[in-house]
Amino acid sequence: MLLQLNNIFKWVQSGGQRVFLLKDINLKVEEGEFISIMGPSGSGKSTLLNVMGMLDGFNEGEYNFLEESVHSLKEKQRANLYKQYIGFVFQAYHLLDELTVYENLEMPLLYKKVGSSERKALVADMLDKFNIVGKQKLFPSQLSGGQQQLVGIARALISSPKLILADEPTGNLNSKQGEEIMEIFKELNNEGVTIIQVTHSEKNAEYGSRIINLLDGRKV
Amino acid sequence: MDGLVEKNKIMLRNYLKIAWRNLRRNKTFTFLNVLGLSVAFAVSILLAMSSFYELSFENFHKNKDRIFGVYSEQQTAQGPKAGTTQPTPFATALRDEVPGIAQITRVLEGGALVIQGNKEMTLDVIWVDPNYFSMFTFPLLQGKKGDELQNLTSVVLSEDAALKLFGSINVIGETVSVLINGKEKPFSVGAITKKNPSNTSFGFEMAIRFENNSEYNQTKDSWNAQYHQVYLQLEENLSAASFETNTQNFVSSHYQEAIENAKRDGAVANKQGLFRMLKLLPLKDHRFTSYKKGQAVASRSTPYLILGVAFLILFIACVNFINMRIAMSAQRLKEIGMRKTLGARKKQLFVQFWSESLLVFVISICFGLLLSVLLINDFKTIFRTEASLTLLATPIILGSFVALVFAITVLVGGYPALLMSRIGTIQSLKGKVLMKGKNRVRDILIVVQFGIAILLISGTLVLRGQIEFMRNINLGFDKEQVISFPLNGKKNSYTALNLLKHELKGNPDILSVSGADNNLGMGKDGSLSSSVIGFEYKGKVTHSNFLVIDYNYVPTLGLELVKGRNFTSAADSLGVLINEAMAKQLGEKDPLAITLNINGDTQSPVYGVLKDYHFQGLDKSIEPIMFFMSRDLGLSYAYVKVRPENLAKSFDTVESTWQKIEPNASFLGSFLNDNIDRTFRREKSLATMITSGSIIAIILSCIGLFAMSMLIVAQRTKEIGIRKVIGASVGSIAFMLTKDFLKLVAIAFIIATPIAWYFLYNWLQNYAFRINLNWWLFAIAGVMVLGIATVTIGLKTIKAARANPVQSLRTE
Repeated sequence: MLLQLNNIFKWVQSGGQRVFLLKDINLKVEEGEFISIMGPSGSGKSTLLNVMGMLDGFNEGEYNFLEESVHSLKEKQRANLYKQYIGFVFQAYHLLDELTVYENLEMPLLYKKVGSSERKALVADMLDKFNIVGKQKLFPSQLSGGQQQLVGIARALISSPKLILADEPTGNLNSKQGEEIMEIFKELNNEGVTIIQVTHSEKNAEYGSRIINLLDGRKV
Repeated sequence: MDGLVEKNKIMLRNYLKIAWRNLRRNKTFTFLNVLGLSVAFAVSILLAMSSFYELSFENFHKNKDRIFGVYSEQQTAQGPKAGTTQPTPFATALRDEVPGIAQITRVLEGGALVIQGNKEMTLDVIWVDPNYFSMFTFPLLQGKKGDELQNLTSVVLSEDAALKLFGSINVIGETVSVLINGKEKPFSVGAITKKNPSNTSFGFEMAIRFENNSEYNQTKDSWNAQYHQVYLQLEENLSAASFETNTQNFVSSHYQEAIENAKRDGAVANKQGLFRMLKLLPLKDHRFTSYKKGQAVASRSTPYLILGVAFLILFIACVNFINMRIAMSAQRLKEIGMRKTLGARKKQLFVQFWSESLLVFVISICFGLLLSVLLINDFKTIFRTEASLTLLATPIILGSFVALVFAITVLVGGYPALLMSRIGTIQSLKGKVLMKGKNRVRDILIVVQFGIAILLISGTLVLRGQIEFMRNINLGFDKEQVISFPLNGKKNSYTALNLLKHELKGNPDILSVSGADNNLGMGKDGSLSSSVIGFEYKGKVTHSNFLVIDYNYVPTLGLELVKGRNFTSAADSLGVLINEAMAKQLGEKDPLAITLNINGDTQSPVYGVLKDYHFQGLDKSIEPIMFFMSRDLGLSYAYVKVRPENLAKSFDTVESTWQKIEPNASFLGSFLNDNIDRTFRREKSLATMITSGSIIAIILSCIGLFAMSMLIVAQRTKEIGIRKVIGASVGSIAFMLTKDFLKLVAIAFIIATPIAWYFLYNWLQNYAFRINLNWWLFAIAGVMVLGIATVTIGLKTIKAARANPVQSLRTE
């Protein structure tokens, strides 16, 4: 088992009332799964993803990740946990504009203080794997959306995480580019990486092995 | 036409309304801007005021451009020397023999005991010729213009002196007595002048005809006793240089012997081939003059330095303003684009943004003026200046102030406005254009800002270091335990001193009592003087300072005898003591074996050699000095050495004893270390000004830096979020954000240090005894600035680095 959510509640205070973002979420994710989270706007998909990614906290409930009880960890320990095991992919790619493709891929390794030669090897592997060796010296603004997302995924993968969290990874792409990205996710999943994605598209959701539907913060 | 005016009015009101709302919306920035600018304006006004005050000295004299002081440049075997005092017959002879003098006056300054009824007080007296009042501008309240001192027995009083003596200014014809050579001499009040302006060195409480001074009768025909100053007013159209040339015959006829002696002793003629020249010093330079190598050098660097600091502070505040405005404009790009699509023209946008700046400036100037008015009294006390805001209220200064403020507003408000109004419509609607890439202007401005701060801080450190050094240096005499005070009573100085000794005898707190004709440092009477004597020794003219002392002067001051003995009995009045510098100048192996022919035919033996001590300021190296113990020459100051315990009580004892001996005289005593401190008052107030200047400069720079870091952080939140998500730690993000700024501070340090070094090195050359410029002084300044900057930026960046990335990464 990779992670488990037990009775997760998350709310914000608004005008003296609690507005629930997540309500009594229970979820168990095994290693190697490919899960799609679906639901209308404002149903809590991204919030759930952020909670699982430990970027965001929750008000009630238990969260276990690889035998660790996330809810009882300090912020710094939590940060270390997600840095080690989780990779993020965003709808807006969120590449660093002033860095080249190569440097963008290298960045997480620099933060992990990986040695120079190992870093080079890892970046080279990734460039190779995603067929972007020729683009390594380009800046994000010089790439198409699909290519940028490719770099985004490569960056998420470079520190070999156990889990990839993708928030509408194809939301800014056309259908052909989107399909390519989904194919890549499929392949990665086959290689053993656990993937959880948020998506609006039924078609993309089909790539996953399981679909979770949310409405107003509740699982349906 | 009316419609156009109406339209413009609406437009203007619209601009101001939007400006006001925008300023209110960005409260933090508006506050920081107004705060910085107000403080800068207030400080600049105050500093400029004190600087203009300094520069205004002697400006009120109507004849200021035609009046000159006369000094001589003399070539001696020891190099060129300046002589600022003249002998009694000099002025008359000069007027009669050299053409071009409209008016001339002799001036001798000094205190004198004035008696009126049962009141006795020491007044600042000048002994002058009648021309004094037609040359210098001291308007009369009472009496007739033109015959102020026509009578040998009339005196002129200043308003405050008249009030002190009589309690009224309607006192023309009243009698006052002045103690001259120990005798009371009656004078009648001939005129009353208005209170002396504070910006003059020629003020007085009482003016007496020169012929009445105590030296006059003995020196009437002597060209050797040089003891007073001479000021002259040249005729129109005669230049000082051509007058100087005209005096050559006068000099060679009256100073023939001195010139011959100089030649014989091996002096080298100056560039014009002369051994002695008369020179004129413009009245306006009087306050700023020091004599170096026989030349009068007028340096106004201190007031200009202060004015410079004022400008630097204003500059820093303006830089803050520009930087913040430019950075802020990023937030307003959408607005700019919107307005453009709605049909705003470039000019209209420019006027709109500029009017915002104008609003901030007007508010800041008002606050600044208010602040300077509130602070002016404290400012005057702390910095010991008599400057006042009315001094600034001359049309020229007011005009240039308004022009300067207008120029600043145009430049400082206009530049960001111009940048903003120029942005293309589509670009600005998309946002993010101004901040793209490197912002050179901003970086340069920050570098200059911190460069100034480092400059001022290192200046502060060096100035304070030098002052501390001067306070703590071993002066060679005991300054902690010795009280000195002027013997300012009616009694003969020796009588008074003996009474003092008698009264204090047996008091266990009093160790010894002595007297001399000069003070050490500057006492409460504010007088500084030196006496130099010249005589021939082994066929060469030798110059030396001289001091008349009483028996136990040497032990009272804790001076050290290196050779020989002290004066022991009244019979010793024949001989002298000398210091090591004098011994060296005489060039004798055994100075105790020689006799000096100082005065007439008397041969004076040397009884002892004293270790060199600093009897003058530390800007001078230790000069030769001789000590006499002659009852023919009066004493002026008493010295009392007390036990280190109960200093305050002993001081009171001395004061009350003096009051008993001279009930009508005021006691102006102080410990010698206070006297020494008084001599570097100027340095101290300069140091205080530079210190407060640098504190304000660093605070303003930090306000700017704080605002900049706030904006930069706001612009980079998304990037910070991304970096956090891909694994950056709080520390590495804070470092990344801080690093760029610190680099600028480092560059500022590299540029500012050599400049500071250069200026401070030159400043220190004014002192014969000075601190060394150590590299660590500058390192301290650099580290201080770096530390303060780091903390300032850190406040913002650490918070940003700790923020939850979820917010910033939300997709719009």
